[in-house]
Amino acid sequence: MDSSNNRLFRFSKPEWLNNSSVRNGGVYVAGALFAAGFFFLIDVASFSRSPRNGSDVHIKFVDWIPGICSALGMLVINSIEKSRLQADSFSYSGSGVAWKARFVLFLGFALLAGGLAGSVTVMVLKYLIKDYPIQTLYFGIANIVANGLVMLSSIVLWVSQNIEDDYTYNLAL
Amino acid sequence: MAAGLKTIIALSFVLAIGFLLVILSSALWHKYWPLLVVGIYVVAPLPNWICQRCANPDDFMDSSSNSAMDFGRFLTGFLVLTGIALPIVLAHSGAIEIPAMIMSIFGGLLIYGTIISFSMFFQEQEEF
Repeated sequence: MDSSNNRLFRFSKPEWLNNSSVRNGGVYVAGALFAAGFFFLIDVASFSRSPRNGSDVHIKFVDWIPGICSALGMLVINSIEKSRLQADSFSYSGSGVAWKARFVLFLGFALLAGGLAGSVTVMVLKYLIKDYPIQTLYFGIANIVANGLVMLSSIVLWVSQNIEDDYTYNLAL
Repeated sequence: MAAGLKTIIALSFVLAIGFLLVILSSALWHKYWPLLVVGIYVVAPLPNWICQRCANPDDFMDSSSNSAMDFGRFLTGFLVLTGIALPIVLAHSGAIEIPAMIMSIFGGLLIYGTIISFSMFFQEQEEF
């Protein structure tokens, strides 16, 4: 894919990245990161209804919206066929496939970034400006951490799915 | 790597210790939430197996088979971290105690490690 003659960047992709086990490990790590983000949300929701929560601030549906946006964005991004993104440079593909794919990809990234920004918004507007103690502020912090983990998970999944091009032919031998 | 009799005996010992830890962690405090960990770790290897059957590994040109395998791996990673995170969530909201959390995490990891190593031995035997 990137031969040494016509590559764009000064540092080449390290050789150990083109390994099928690295790729599979990346997919496992992406699943684990997504689960970590998901369980931060679950933890906050269960803690807010548990007897340990001293305050009367609870998790409402507003706190779930950024997480839902991030998860939808991750679903959209990773359900695109990656090879269609460069489809216009090949002759056999129909017109505008790459454009559509890039548009859907843009929607996915917008959802993901919107989820992260929304979690910061919820934290600031619901918890930070009301001077709650740290136990209640944790609801907002965990929301940001959860959305950041979902974003990191989709980045890891994207990168590790782009590794695949070089190793398939080695496997065919 | 021969899956001898010693390996099977050692694996069964580890499995028994794992179950002992999880059952103790729930029975000592009379709160039976940690038993969910056993169920999660038993289910955890299933997506890989199912998706390996769905995907056709001989077909190199078709990338859709690869994505099915990737989905299975993603689900496996999700379930493994679920088994670790669930006791922490339960302990944080006060449903179980902190020692019960530690015991159930270690027991669950032992159970999952047993399942994974057993399937690895089994598969390598089957290939030859």
